[in-house]
Amino acid sequence: MKQNTNNTTADRRGFLKNVAASVVAAGALVPAGLSAKDDPALMKEPEWGKKLGRPVDANLYGMPSPYEHNVQRRVHELLSSGDMYASVAMCPIQDLDGIITPNGLFFNRAHGGVAIVDPNEYRLIIHGLVEKPLVLTLDQLKRYPSESRIHFIECPANGSTGWRAPQFDTLQFIKGMMSQAEWTGVKLSTLLKDVGVKPTAKWVLAEGSDDSHMGRTIPIEKIMDDAMLVWAQNGEALRPEQGYPVRLLVPGWEGNLNVKWLKRLEFGDKPWHAKEETSKYTMLTPTGKAVQFFWPMEVNSVITSPCPDKPWTDLKKGDIVEIQGLAWSGEGTIKGVDISFDGGKNWTEANLKGLVLPKAWTRFSYIYKWDGKPIILSSRAYDDAGFVQPTITQEVSKMGVEGIYHRNAIVSWEVKANGEVHNVQVRDYKKEKEAIEKMQKGAKDA
Amino acid sequence: MLKLNKKISVFAAIAIAFATSAVAGEKDVKVKAPKVRAIDAATEYKVEKGVYAGIYKVNTQTSKIKKFGYGKKATPDEIKVNDIDVRYDWQGLPDGKGTPAKGEELYTKNCVMCHGEFGAGGKGYPVLAGGQGSLKNQLIDPSSGDEPPVKTIGSYWPYASTLFWYVKTGMPFPHPMSLTNDDVYSIVAYLLSLNDIQVGGEDLDDDTVLDKKKLMTVVMPNVNGFYPDVNAKNGAQNVKKFLSNGKNYGTPMVRCMKNCKPGKVIRIKHTLDEGIKPPLSEKRDLPKVKAGGAADNKYAKLFEANCKACHGNKAIAPVPGDKEAWAPRIKEGKDTLYKHALKGFQGMPPKGGTNLPDADIKGIVDYMVSKSK
Ligand code: HEC
Ligand code: HEC
Repeated sequence: MKQNTNNTTADRRGFLKNVAASVVAAGALVPAGLSAKDDPALMKEPEWGKKLGRPVDANLYGMPSPYEHNVQRRVHELLSSGDMYASVAMCPIQDLDGIITPNGLFFNRAHGGVAIVDPNEYRLIIHGLVEKPLVLTLDQLKRYPSESRIHFIECPANGSTGWRAPQFDTLQFIKGMMSQAEWTGVKLSTLLKDVGVKPTAKWVLAEGSDDSHMGRTIPIEKIMDDAMLVWAQNGEALRPEQGYPVRLLVPGWEGNLNVKWLKRLEFGDKPWHAKEETSKYTMLTPTGKAVQFFWPMEVNSVITSPCPDKPWTDLKKGDIVEIQGLAWSGEGTIKGVDISFDGGKNWTEANLKGLVLPKAWTRFSYIYKWDGKPIILSSRAYDDAGFVQPTITQEVSKMGVEGIYHRNAIVSWEVKANGEVHNVQVRDYKKEKEAIEKMQKGAKDA
Repeated sequence: MLKLNKKISVFAAIAIAFATSAVAGEKDVKVKAPKVRAIDAATEYKVEKGVYAGIYKVNTQTSKIKKFGYGKKATPDEIKVNDIDVRYDWQGLPDGKGTPAKGEELYTKNCVMCHGEFGAGGKGYPVLAGGQGSLKNQLIDPSSGDEPPVKTIGSYWPYASTLFWYVKTGMPFPHPMSLTNDDVYSIVAYLLSLNDIQVGGEDLDDDTVLDKKKLMTVVMPNVNGFYPDVNAKNGAQNVKKFLSNGKNYGTPMVRCMKNCKPGKVIRIKHTLDEGIKPPLSEKRDLPKVKAGGAADNKYAKLFEANCKACHGNKAIAPVPGDKEAWAPRIKEGKDTLYKHALKGFQGMPPKGGTNLPDADIKGIVDYMVSKSK
């Protein structure tokens, strides 16, 4: 299923054996003396070099090469709340390079389908504990001085199928409930000058205009710090899947708080306790009590190459290979990433590369000479807020396995001698069970 | 200096080990924490000399402008129509009244096809009742036969206000904002009664009238089931305090570098990969072209947008293509099908709850029938 059949050594060898036969059969010009060492792909003029390409007006909104059609979002019934209107489409992060997600691949979580909002009918209404309640059209909103920021958005349920045991063998479903873009819009601290927030306002309700009328409470401190109303993603208008025409951006915080199709901001003196901050997006612990209002996405990392989808089956013993991955934290900037070859017993520092931005995906890299022996590869990030990615046992021993959200424990890959890569977990079940039972017993019965 | 460092790190390691049962390794490196934290315990970034967070340049003119003056002042009516939330202290709760009996009727018409009889679920949609006493359950080993916790309105939700708000603005799923306030009172009364939740110290009988005053007295069983306390005067500060200490949620603040003891390697026993759609593939090849793509069809698209929420799920309504389910219906004749689609029929709401023109509804019915012959 996940065999990488492109250009694997084995494949090429097989192909070369048949070279003469196939080239002759195809009736191509065979240069005299074609040897088994010659790559047939280079020994003939390719089809696309012998004819005109597509006219430039063929695709006035461009699409990826048709050969890349397998690079797409994917879904799973078990990750839905009943149907594909309340579900999530996962981002193929195994196929991404750099730190920006193309807009068509950005992960997509919806609670009542993807609304198609008419921008001409779009209005934003701001009211509550403010001096001047305000109504803005889209054009008026876009008049405010804009800023652009690169931030990831991650659903707090990312990786939630791994609480009990590993269940997926593809990076897309292990960590694909996140993506990153350059967002453009206005900082709320700028826009709110026109509204005049009263000193009694401590909380803000942000509400979407879609079927779910998604509502979430945000503390005023975040609103005035780095929250934005954004209308563009990687240079173009937001995609409907990301909340066209306007969404709230609360950098580093739970994806769900970045309310899409934003219609209303109400300022108040108390938090609201919406469905998505009580029934959902709360973490039930072994004491029977749940953590509520856990806003930021914690420090995290994952190795993207190799991974189950991008194995080392084409490598030979002694080959030099780059191990790389993504690290991110909603609580600050990535300070460093450690990697381990023995499942987390011993660690060594990897290098960061490219842009290192606050609340953003950061690439890490390690050049490795593989001796062809099996290894367990793990990565562990830490940030400038002082937090370190936990082991599975550290996290479960405090949170249990029923919390669903905010699972940021270390991810490990088993690289086999044949180069196959599989999702594994390194954990101490006995210790976890003891800790859980202790917490269950310690909690008074309700 | 070296000695001192070691002492400190060993101390930190013990603290972590105590809190999270992690085994401290031989060489722990403490990670520097910031002096000032933002409300979410994150590093706080500032604009300094026109640069934000040491990396993004900003136009410093913006901060000097007092007002931009865009947009218009919202009118009281505009605010009233759009202010649809109900806060936990009941701010925003509209007037109205209803009974569990009327609620059951409405539930049967609008909700049962997804949430099941008596809110018991069973169709993949959320369960709306039960689960009381299960919140401490932890299913770490599925082969143990243990039960997982069941989180429902009755077992988990801290406030009844949330139920009123969500049913009013989010349900029924295919056409929210279609229930009257009285309808919502009735449905809330019914759902509270299914969960054995009392009103004013008394059980809800079928004919108990639930009005604004009575609803505001409801205290949910799990009202104290959540932390940190955000409803306190400076509640957000309680969240900050909680988040600032990684021990509270199993996050270390040191890096173990050598001889750490993370545990054993656990491999995948049961993979969920088969259910992934479309199937995984890393191949670079040309896509297979499907002939006559249904998505090109106008009525297929209208169906997707307006009917599929129910008619995409066998458990709720007949799914186009399911010949067995459609054969007896097709026998009734097109006119009956049109009539039922337009005027409603048992669980089928009139026009599927839409306000599409009759011609479009008929077009969609034709499409459904043509797919199912
Ligand atoms: C077409 C299927 C469908 C119908 C009909 C429907 N619902 Fe829902 N309901 C859903 C889905 C899907 C969700 C979860 C939405 C999400 O993911 O946010 C949900 C969630 C809920 C929840 C929150 C459950 C929880 O524990 O978080 C309540 C309460 C609810 N529905 C009540 C109702 C009521 C009352 C009606 C009828 C008036 C109704 N529903 C009709 C599909 C449906
Ligand atoms: C809220 C869920 C729901 C929605 C939305 C919905 N349906 Fe239905 N529909 C049903 C149910 C349930 C039935 C089965 C009724 C029965 O036979 O008891 C049904 C049956 C039907 C039938 C068969 C009637 C018969 O006589 O057997 C047609 C035709 C139909 N629906 C058309 C539509 C069309 C067209 C739409 C979209 C515009 C739509 N439905 C939207 C729930 C729904």
